[in-house]
Amino acid sequence: MNQPKTAVRRRPGKLVRALHKHRFIYLMLLPIAVYFILFSYYPLGLGIVSSFQDVKLLGNATFSGLSNYRYVFSNPQYSQAFVNTLIVGIGTFVLQFVWGLLIALLLNEVKNKVAKSAIQSVTYIPYLLSWSVVGGLWILLFSPSGMVNGFLELVKGAEFSPIVFMSEASFARAIMIFTGAWKGAGYYAVLFLAAIVGIDPSIYESASIDGASRLRQIFQITVPNIVPTMKVVAMLGIMGVMRNFDQIFIMGNASIYDKVRNLLYLIYTDGITQFKIGPATAGATLVLVATLIISAVARKLMRYDDTYED
Amino acid sequence: MKRTNRGIRNELTAPQKTIAWLVLGLIFLTMAIPMWNVIVMSTSTALDAAASGMKLWWSRFSLEGYKYVFEVTKLARPFLNSLFVSTVGTVIQVVLSAFAGYVLIQKELPGRKIITSFIMLTMMIPGDLTLISVYQMNKQLHLLNSYTGLILNGLISGFSILLMRNYFTSVPYSLAESARIDGASEFRIFGNIYLPISKPGLATVFFIEFVGKWNSIMLPATLVTEQKYYTLPLMLKAMILQTDVSQSGAAMTPDNAIMAAIVISTVPLLLIYVFAQRFLLSGMTLGASKE
Repeated sequence: MNQPKTAVRRRPGKLVRALHKHRFIYLMLLPIAVYFILFSYYPLGLGIVSSFQDVKLLGNATFSGLSNYRYVFSNPQYSQAFVNTLIVGIGTFVLQFVWGLLIALLLNEVKNKVAKSAIQSVTYIPYLLSWSVVGGLWILLFSPSGMVNGFLELVKGAEFSPIVFMSEASFARAIMIFTGAWKGAGYYAVLFLAAIVGIDPSIYESASIDGASRLRQIFQITVPNIVPTMKVVAMLGIMGVMRNFDQIFIMGNASIYDKVRNLLYLIYTDGITQFKIGPATAGATLVLVATLIISAVARKLMRYDDTYED
Repeated sequence: MKRTNRGIRNELTAPQKTIAWLVLGLIFLTMAIPMWNVIVMSTSTALDAAASGMKLWWSRFSLEGYKYVFEVTKLARPFLNSLFVSTVGTVIQVVLSAFAGYVLIQKELPGRKIITSFIMLTMMIPGDLTLISVYQMNKQLHLLNSYTGLILNGLISGFSILLMRNYFTSVPYSLAESARIDGASEFRIFGNIYLPISKPGLATVFFIEFVGKWNSIMLPATLVTEQKYYTLPLMLKAMILQTDVSQSGAAMTPDNAIMAAIVISTVPLLLIYVFAQRFLLSGMTLGASKE
């Protein structure tokens, strides 16, 4: 064992010893580092590079400047997909937010434990399921012989002729927004309820001693106290607006694509099935940048970062 | 529960309560009736399932839909594919997340800051936006249409690593330090001190990631074209597509069989919900809370 004797050599010796001491830690890190480099960083870099290239099926890719970006900006399919993304995404988020909040506020007033947990489970379960399940379910419910038409027939009488909901462009966005919120409302309700449970019960007690009605307590105690959670939920929702692939992949079809095809789905069909790698990666890079900007702006606007500062 | 104000009943008035129950009842029915309809249709005959009406009760109970999905659609293969890929992937993910979480709590680790940002930054890169390049990379590595590809993609997530790190930080650092002074190896400290305390964390990661993998659509849709590697969501998509109006002419899967396939893909998740609800909910509320 050769201990370094001079003060000059002690510093590197210390580092070497620290590295040696942590050798198992680095060994544990190794698979994670390899994974992230291969599956996160490399694709990110490759995507950005490809967006400036003309990628061909055969032969080498050539540098093509901004032509892919020009293609994306001038292609009406992309601008249409952008509009669809915003309308369906924001519509879904707003409906889901209100729906989830309503569930949480109402459930909080339910004293019967069995009813409470039954309702919470039923509203939460759709969130747990994949879009292939939820989408498949609603496609059948909206089919001409499905439950929705059955219900309308019950209401409107026998002369009612069934509507082919899933291929009717005028219903398409409403259906996506409704089913999206149907799937996610229970999840938001869980988040809101968790916040409501955390409110100090003594606030309610003193309010009721002061003669405030329960309804007033809901609006003046419960709601203000869960504003921080609302902000978190809003951030999650806003960041998710751009990233709704599964629903359109399962529920979209040729007769409604003009109304519901969103950016992610268009990027997928352009890149994977049509092999237009350049435009698709340019589109993906733009959505990535847009997502980062939107979440940064939303953070600022909602003063999100101050929320938990004491 | 202590009641300080026994005299005052802090509740809504009777009319308000009625309205609350009505709204809640309506919401409940909107959520429950569609799911009930799935169960009824899946256990009806193809003829009854295709008839018009609300279909909230059986005219004839029948398991022919379930028979159809196993004999004609051959759903067993995609079901086992999903089960295999999700289970193996999740187990590896739990182990690696624990490793990475443990790395992140080492206070004296040289390069700790760089390693932390290296891992955290991956959470800023949405996997769905690098999909095209992920496809190309998988092609270069010959991972398309393979179980290895299905398992490897999405194997590690920053979220699970953070979750494990949070559990590990609750273990007093001095405990590990004194074990180290006593000459315990790093693996023993990790395995005998940290892992046992963090069992709920491991369970949370397991169930959350299993649900995520079981439901995954985009990655399998990108990586797999051969039917023998289809996972359940892809098979369901293929079954639904056949009933699509624009695809008329193809052999149609009857509605009761589709509903049966939906029930079958839901059962494992319902089991998890019933037996591991606590872990699912804690993980999901944690995912939405700020650091």
